[in-house]
Amino acid sequence: MNRGLKGLESKVLDRGQCAACGACLSLCPYLRSWRGRAVKLHDCDLSEGRCFSFCPRSEVDLDALHRSVFGKGYEDIETGPVRRVVMAKAPALEFRDKAQNGGVVSALMAMAIDEGRIQAAILTERDAELLPQGRIAETKEEVLTCAGSSYVTGYTLEALNRGPWQGEERIGVVGLPCQVLALARMKASPLEKRTPVDRVDLVVGLFCTWALDYRPFAGFLKKRFGNTPIHKLDITPPPDRLLHVTVGNEVHQIPLDEIRGFIRPSCQVCLDMTSELSDLSVGTVEGEDGWNTVIVRTERGEDLLRQAESKGVLETRAYPEDKWAHLKAASILKKQRGLKALKDVQDKYVTLPQKAIDSLMKEVAP
Amino acid sequence: MSLVAQDAPGKTILLMGNEAIARGALEAGVKVCAAYPGNPSSEIIGSLSSAAEAMDLHVEWSVNEKVAMEVVAAASFAGLRGLCSMKQNGLNVAADFLLNLNLSGTQGGLVVVVADDPGGISSTNEEDSRIFAKIGDLPLLEPATFQEAKDMTKWAFSLSEDLGLPVMVRSVTRVSHARGNVRLDKLPRPIAQARFDISRPRLAFPPFPSHKTLHQKLERAKIFAESSPYNFYRGPEKPELLLITSGSGWMYSLEAVINLGVQDRVGLLKLGTTWPLPANLVLEHLKQAETIVFVEEVDPFLENNVKELFAQHCMDLGLKRFYGKASGTIPSAGEITPEIVTSALQKMLNVRYQPRPEDYASKAHEAASELVPARALGFCAGCPHRATYWAVKTALALDGREGFVLGDIGCYGLGMGPSGFYQMKTIHAMGSGAGLAAGFGQLGRFGLTQPVLAVCGDSTFYHAAMPALVNARYNGSHFVLLLLDNSATAMTGFQPHPGTGRTATGKEAPVLDLKVICESLGAIVQLTDPFDLAATTDAMLKFLQDSEGVKVLILKRECALVRSKKQKKLFEVEVDQERCLGETCGCNRLCTRVFKCPGLYWDRTTGKACIDEAICTGCGVCAEICPASAIQKEVA
Repeated sequence: MNRGLKGLESKVLDRGQCAACGACLSLCPYLRSWRGRAVKLHDCDLSEGRCFSFCPRSEVDLDALHRSVFGKGYEDIETGPVRRVVMAKAPALEFRDKAQNGGVVSALMAMAIDEGRIQAAILTERDAELLPQGRIAETKEEVLTCAGSSYVTGYTLEALNRGPWQGEERIGVVGLPCQVLALARMKASPLEKRTPVDRVDLVVGLFCTWALDYRPFAGFLKKRFGNTPIHKLDITPPPDRLLHVTVGNEVHQIPLDEIRGFIRPSCQVCLDMTSELSDLSVGTVEGEDGWNTVIVRTERGEDLLRQAESKGVLETRAYPEDKWAHLKAASILKKQRGLKALKDVQDKYVTLPQKAIDSLMKEVAP
Repeated sequence: MSLVAQDAPGKTILLMGNEAIARGALEAGVKVCAAYPGNPSSEIIGSLSSAAEAMDLHVEWSVNEKVAMEVVAAASFAGLRGLCSMKQNGLNVAADFLLNLNLSGTQGGLVVVVADDPGGISSTNEEDSRIFAKIGDLPLLEPATFQEAKDMTKWAFSLSEDLGLPVMVRSVTRVSHARGNVRLDKLPRPIAQARFDISRPRLAFPPFPSHKTLHQKLERAKIFAESSPYNFYRGPEKPELLLITSGSGWMYSLEAVINLGVQDRVGLLKLGTTWPLPANLVLEHLKQAETIVFVEEVDPFLENNVKELFAQHCMDLGLKRFYGKASGTIPSAGEITPEIVTSALQKMLNVRYQPRPEDYASKAHEAASELVPARALGFCAGCPHRATYWAVKTALALDGREGFVLGDIGCYGLGMGPSGFYQMKTIHAMGSGAGLAAGFGQLGRFGLTQPVLAVCGDSTFYHAAMPALVNARYNGSHFVLLLLDNSATAMTGFQPHPGTGRTATGKEAPVLDLKVICESLGAIVQLTDPFDLAATTDAMLKFLQDSEGVKVLILKRECALVRSKKQKKLFEVEVDQERCLGETCGCNRLCTRVFKCPGLYWDRTTGKACIDEAICTGCGVCAEICPASAIQKEVA
């Protein structure tokens, strides 16, 4: 089997399995992204390449990856390794204003830069047409321009590959589960990398149920709202199931069913809702507006959260038991759906130990 | 001094067939000459333009063949001698006028030279133009040698005046482009007095009487054909096999008969006037043989006409066997060679003939493969079209809606192959890219979602793409025209055109600006330099995103060959061997494996790309595509 661009094409790109993480971009002249799609420009006949090796949908052994990140295999089957879980929010309004929920991610990254933990953060920025793309933020102001979500994946990791880099910076990355997975793949790859991935010292993962494909979604919004700029997109938790679109001073409500068709096919085989391969993961808290869930996974993540707490950058609260049970159930449900979708795929994009599969499928969703 | 305008009667000089044709016209006292370039005919006007000043001629590169023929017909109507030349495709363009001109008749001698391209070596098609002589009831002459090319052209003018009809002279590549000895005759310098006799209007209409008159003229042409010295027979009185040939077939047949040593068995009937046929001469020789072979290039024109004649007289002639293209004895397509004729005769006459050892071909191939580098048909080093197609490929891939390029005639037609990254998906006639685009651009309402692009060169634009653009605007079509302005009619030899600011004879001319023309037609026009890959790709993508209307992207960059004649390299280019990633992930030989400019080569021993100093023209485009910035350019 080809483990270069040809393999990537036949297994990932041609099957619509690209997760739009950006790990394969700006490595070579053969792949480029434009308006939310990764595109092969020319044929490459190498039998092995970084594009395939870094891809979160090419050939992922989750057990081995967990071992490389945490020193232990795929054991914490519900939501990945958990050291601590809290509710948190940034008291400073500048973070919460633009943020999706409690402004935790922006506040943490700004603090990490301020405190010199990292010199650059790889974040996702959206342009006036909501097209997301990776960018390097080196100041709090730059971090703030990236706050908020458009529910569209945006080749974030391309910014890591593209640079420009001085060569010494320590780097933090904020990514979706597929991007965090790709980052772990990049770190673990035996190929000569020629990227600064080994200087990535902090990985903040985001919760994700699914993400949208930019081109059809942008087309849909344009048809609906014309060229008027959209300020914010927000999906309300069940039972509403609505997309709130802020256009000018008005908030329009669109039933989620109208946009489900734009969900990237690659999201269907995703086994990760909480960005399990991160130092620390951040998501919403169901039923608690303006708060975030924070799952601390590594010592580095713990260290960061403690500093944020002690400096008053974040305010935290104990996580309610019922909500934690609910979150775990949702995570398992996504894994079960993913495993079912993967069942009939011959050459699996992602593999798990059989034991983990059996346990996951036994779990009964609430 | 012009080679063809030497005033040296009796002197024998070496001339290319096309030069011999030009000389024939000069010896006939031609005054007006016009053509649109097209191989293998281009050197006729090229030679005449060099003699224009000395001989006081009007010579022009017209925008297309129909206009060229009209320009020359005007001279004829005014009593002057005129010549227009074209390739086979050109006659298709001019045919509408020609098939009315035959009815209106001519005054001063009017000669239409058509150089066919058997095998389509430098054409999109293979076509036999002779059929037009039959359709149009026009006298057709086929020179077989270089001397005949001159002499028959000269004769064609007086024949035209005798009959009051245009006369067609049909050449082929190996007559037009080969060289041979030609004995010169006197060079007259007639004083021209142009005047259109308004008492004799030149009207094709009404066709009924004029068509009848035309047939009467053709009857008279038969008389000239019967006595023409360009029809002759060589061989025994009663040949075992009668070979009937014309044009280039004559030399091939002669060579085959001599090589096989069958001069006493085979009779050769060589015809120079192939329409109308010298019927009596042909019938006389048909009587003498039972087996007849036809050797001619492209279509079985002679073959069918002789068979038609035979059918008319078969009661007197008895049974015959005919061999030629219909029987498969002579291939129905591609160029004829002496070998093809030799091999056909060998089988029919049961003669053993071994011109060279059996393994000669394989040995020659082996030797050549070591010495001659394998080279695909492609763009020159530094050609702007390579950069253009690179941008097209990138833009269409990024756009991702299966957009496609409709092709046209010119160097950029090679966009259908590896050199243009297989981006061009159709190729037909001059201007057909824009015409097809005008049609594809209407198919949105029937579900076509693919972006439509057409390519068109500067010269081709003036030739036939302008009506398509007008049509597209008028009928509300949607497409992007890529106007590849390399400031030359490059493929046929850099002839000037209305955008270049000079005429066929080197005089200054107004520049008919492409941007102004396109804008005046209401198209959205943008100019870009194809060497700026990023800007060109962006411009294409921008045009592709907005599907409404007709947009023209003018890609302006002079032909690399034209530029290299005038100035030095733009850049000195070299490959930093340390930085070159070679075959490793991140490059995998993008420049030598994908971009493939002949100015770059792959050094197998070092595993790095290198610049071929002898070939590189210093365009610097490869420096733009190098992912490692290993290819570096410095202003030369």
